[in-house]
Amino acid sequence: MRTAKNLFVACAALALFGLTGLAIAAPALAEDGQGEALFNLCTQCHGNAGEGRQNLEAPAIAGLPEWYVTTQLNNFMSGARGTHFDDIQGMRMRPMSRSLTGEGDVEAVSAYVASLPIVTPARTLDGDAAKGQGMYALCASCHAIDGTGSEPQGGPPLIGQSDWYLLSQLKKYQAGIRGRDPRDTFGLMMQPMSLTLPTDESMKDVIAHIMTLSGESE
Amino acid sequence: MDWIVQASTYADDVDGAILLITYLVGFWFFLTAGLFFWLIFAFRKRDGVEAEYLTGGEQQPKKFITWAHMLVLVCDVFVVIAAIQVWVEIKQTLPDAPETQTVRIVSQQWAWSFIHPGPDGQLDTADDIKTVDDLHIEVDRPYIYELTSRDVLHDFSVIAFRLKQDAVPGRVITGWFQATKTGEFEIQCAEMCGIGHGLMPGMVHVQSPEEHAAWMASKSNGAMLAQAGR
Ligand code: HEC
Ligand code: HEC
Ligand SMILES: [Cu+2]
Repeated sequence: MRTAKNLFVACAALALFGLTGLAIAAPALAEDGQGEALFNLCTQCHGNAGEGRQNLEAPAIAGLPEWYVTTQLNNFMSGARGTHFDDIQGMRMRPMSRSLTGEGDVEAVSAYVASLPIVTPARTLDGDAAKGQGMYALCASCHAIDGTGSEPQGGPPLIGQSDWYLLSQLKKYQAGIRGRDPRDTFGLMMQPMSLTLPTDESMKDVIAHIMTLSGESE
Repeated sequence: MDWIVQASTYADDVDGAILLITYLVGFWFFLTAGLFFWLIFAFRKRDGVEAEYLTGGEQQPKKFITWAHMLVLVCDVFVVIAAIQVWVEIKQTLPDAPETQTVRIVSQQWAWSFIHPGPDGQLDTADDIKTVDDLHIEVDRPYIYELTSRDVLHDFSVIAFRLKQDAVPGRVITGWFQATKTGEFEIQCAEMCGIGHGLMPGMVHVQSPEEHAAWMASKSNGAMLAQAGR
C-alpha cells in the first residue's frame, strides 16, 4: 500500500516537471534565442563560428548579410538551388533548410548568421592576384570594388569567403548546376557572368584578388 | 492488407508472407498467454498447499512443452517456405519481358536522383532524363533498377510497392518492380544515413503511357534544360 502511494506521488511529480519543462521551453525558443538555438544545427557543417569546414565542403557563412542568407535558405527550400543532379553539396544543404519549418525560423537564423563576425579565410589555392584584379572590374559592378557585395544588385559579399568555395561555385554556375533554375532570379543574373572566366586559371586569378580584399596577404 | 495501398505486382505476396507470420505467431501468442493467465489463476496461492519446483531433469512433466515446441517448428517450416518464395520472386529473379526498361537510382546525403532512359528506352543516350526527387515510370511496365550510392549506406524504400533495398557505396545493386496503380507514392530512406536522413523524401510518379510520354516530351523540350540536366 505504502509503495503504491509513493509510486503515484513520484509519477505525478514527474508529469508536473515535464509539463513545466515544456511551458518554459516553448516561449524561450520563440523569443530572443531562436536564431542562436537554430544555429546549433548549422554548426555541424559550417563550424561553431560559421567559419566553414572544407572537409565537409561547407562554406563560411559568418557575417553574410541577412538578405542573402534568407534568399539562399529560401532557394534551397524551394529547390531553386540544390536540386541539380550534379549538385552533390547543394543536396546536402537543402534538407537542412527544410528543417526550418517554424514560423520566423528562416529570419531568425539569418539574422543570427549575419551577426557573427566575418572570418578571414586561409588561402588554399594559388593564383595571380595582379592578373585577377583586371578581370574583377566586371565583378565589381555587382559585388562592389572592395568585395563587400551590393544588395540592390543581389550580389553577395565575396570577402570572408574561402577560396575553394568561390572556385566551386564559379564552376557550378558555369556548368549550369547553379543559377539555371527559372525560380533562381539572382542566380540567373550571375550564371552568364561566370562564363567570362573561361579557364580554371582565370578563375583562380580573380579569386586570388578577392582573397587580397579579404585581408589575406600573398 | 490493402488498407496500406498496394501498388506493385509483388505487394500482395509480401503482405501474404507477413500475414502468414502474423497469424501463426498470433495463434501461439494468444494460446500461450491465455494458458499462462489460466495457470496463474488456477494454481494461485492456497493455504496448506506448497509450491512444487521442477528442475527439468525428468522427461514426464516436460512433455507438454516438448509437444508445443514441435508444433511451433512445423509452423516455422511454413514461414520459411513462404519467405523463400517471396524472396526468390523479388530479389533473385529479374523480369525479361521485352518491354522492360532500366532506370538508375542514385542515393546521396540527402537526396534521391534518377536517370530515366528517355523516349528511346535506352540508358546512356543523349535523351536520358536526369531528375532529383522525382522518379517517373509507366504503370504496368516492368522496370529494372540499378541502385548506387554516392557516399554512405541508404535504403530505397517505397512502401506502396513493398520494396526496400539497401544502397551500398561502391556497388551497383540490381532489382526490379512493376507498378500496378497510377498515382504518386512516397520514397523514403530506410537506412540511417546521417543528420538529414529524415529529410530526404522522394516521390514515384506512376503514369499512364500517355501521361508518361507527355512528361518525357516536356523534359526533352529545349536543349537548354536538357543540358542543365533537368
Ligand atoms: C549537413 C551539413 C550542413 C548543415 C547542417 C548546414 N549546411 Fe549550409 N551548406 C552546406 C553545404 C555543403 C553548402 C554548400 C552548398 C554548395 O556548394 O552549393 C551550404 C551552403 C549554405 C549557404 C549558402 C552560402 C553561400 O555563400 O551561398 C547558406 C546561407 C547556408 N548553408 C546556411 C546554413 C544554415 C543557416 C544552416 C543551419 C540551419 C546550415 N546551413 C546547415 C552544408 C550544411
Ligand atoms: C550582374 C551582376 C553580377 C556580376 C557582374 C557578377 N556577379 Fe557574382 N553574383 C551575382 C549575384 C546576384 C549572385 C547571387 C546569386 C544567388 O543568389 O544565387 C552572385 C553570386 C556569386 C558567387 C557565389 C557566392 C556565394 O557565396 O555563394 C560568386 C563566387 C560570384 N558571384 C563571383 C563573381 C565573379 C568572380 C564575378 C566576376 C567575374 C561576378 N560574380 C560577377 C551577381 C553578379
Ligand atoms: Cu539516406
